[in-house]
Amino acid sequence: MKNSKNENYITPKPGQFVMIWVPGIDEIPMSISGCDNNGNWAITVKNVGECTNAMCKLNIGDYIGVRGPLGNHFKLPTNNSKKIFIIGGGIGMAPLKFLSTKLTEMKIKHTLVEGAKDKNDLMFMEYFQISTSDYSEVDYCTDNGSHGTKGVASYVFKEIVEKLTEKNLPNLIVYSCGPEIMLYKLFQICQEYNIEYYASLERIMRCGCGLCGLCTLDPLGLLVCKDGPIFNSKTLKKIQDFGKYQRDFTGKKIGIE
Amino acid sequence: MLEVNLSGLKLKSPIILASGILGVSFSSMKRVIDAGAGAVTTKSIGPKPRKGYKNPSIIEISPGTFMNSIGLGNPGISEFISEIKEIKKHNIPLIVSVFGDTNEVYLDIAIKAENTGADAIEINISCPHAEVSSIGTDKDLTYEIVKFLKAKLSIPLFVKLNPNVTDIGEIALAAQKGGANGVVAINTFSALKIDVNTKRPILSHGSGGLSGKAIHPIAVKKVFDLYKVLKIPIIGCGGIDSWQDVIEFFLAGASAVQIGTALYKGTEIIKEINDEITQYLKNNEYTSINDIKGLAHQFKTQEVPDFN
Repeated sequence: MKNSKNENYITPKPGQFVMIWVPGIDEIPMSISGCDNNGNWAITVKNVGECTNAMCKLNIGDYIGVRGPLGNHFKLPTNNSKKIFIIGGGIGMAPLKFLSTKLTEMKIKHTLVEGAKDKNDLMFMEYFQISTSDYSEVDYCTDNGSHGTKGVASYVFKEIVEKLTEKNLPNLIVYSCGPEIMLYKLFQICQEYNIEYYASLERIMRCGCGLCGLCTLDPLGLLVCKDGPIFNSKTLKKIQDFGKYQRDFTGKKIGIE
Repeated sequence: MLEVNLSGLKLKSPIILASGILGVSFSSMKRVIDAGAGAVTTKSIGPKPRKGYKNPSIIEISPGTFMNSIGLGNPGISEFISEIKEIKKHNIPLIVSVFGDTNEVYLDIAIKAENTGADAIEINISCPHAEVSSIGTDKDLTYEIVKFLKAKLSIPLFVKLNPNVTDIGEIALAAQKGGANGVVAINTFSALKIDVNTKRPILSHGSGGLSGKAIHPIAVKKVFDLYKVLKIPIIGCGGIDSWQDVIEFFLAGASAVQIGTALYKGTEIIKEINDEITQYLKNNEYTSINDIKGLAHQFKTQEVPDFN
């Protein structure tokens, strides 16, 4: 997305999202996957529904609507004293690519763990090789073993953690985004080993700015759009809906698959 | 100092959460109460689950002014009963907003809400972008539904007024005649936002309801006019975003107010407004917010001059 006018320009931070309007189709929340110093932002689209399908068919120069940046952002470390893991599944890699880029700019070392169903679903492989490899290494894993380790990202991370000595554990930070089941497993691992943990949650939303209430998390009434989408372990621990429930467009609570 | 008695509802603050904002889950409503609100109004609840319109359904069109056309998306009363129960577990003063397509449907939902512990019912007969708006634009239909519901309900009934009418006063008087315990003035204004690049209305439904900063002076005028003719309490609603906005509503004649759109700034704004109203009352040596109700009416305004 190119920024055509420079007034009132706000630089997005890794973890923030935008509401993307495809005229005539829908408006949906999407993570920002990058930005440069000239006011250009990036989103990364996977064709999973009506709106993303319409996005994939857009041509250069077509109009879309953008509201944002919205929500909070990943709390970044300021130096290399921590061992940083960035763990993502599928399209959840989008905001993590932005995070990895930012950390690379800051010359902060980190390890990426990227999981997907199949090797064809792995994202940003070339980008990570070219753009962030000076400060990061990537562990790939796939459900079917077609690339990297066979297994899910949380499993790969647990293997890594189990090899670490106890005194290293408090020195770890995990940033994650992806299917909520994966986030919940990572949360459990981080709780067990007392590791600092951040997860980016996703919910259905209309407004993206704290009004409609569809993204409310019980029982604290936290809003994914405004208090999140990034939550730390301390907060996640109190969110009963985490890993279990979301609300549909009617506002009805439904289970998370 | 901020306590008000609204038709029997004893509220610790005159600021009530308006319908349609954060009113889906008990937890978000509890958060609004914890932030200092005196009561909460739920999202308008209908007879069955309803998705509402697709996005874009809420957009900000200038700072603090929004347009929405949710289209009464709601989980339906059966599903919502559990949220009402949960709210009442926390002893939160609760107004359940109700909509339907017939008077009987309104009644069925209102009775279920009352039996589950709702403290009052607000009827939405004024949504500017859904089919139920027709009742609120007709004084006879308004009178009939209010009378019909009042005959069966024990808890107070508030009527949310549609400002998109020629004479809001006659609708309000019809509600009063039917036995309403108060009116909420006002719902959103019917409006349209067109994107100049794609040349199409932005909201998926086309038109929507205008809320927030831009409508506050209009809402104050409606409350001011209604105060002259009504005996029942007026709940001022429309564009509250600061303590002055609340005071203005009271000076115009409101007995309580509702806040909605401004919560995009965060629920903490309610506490700030409460504190600042208290300070205003102290500075002006009032002991209660009720003491300033309607004070703007004491001044003579200039008459229309003769043309010759």
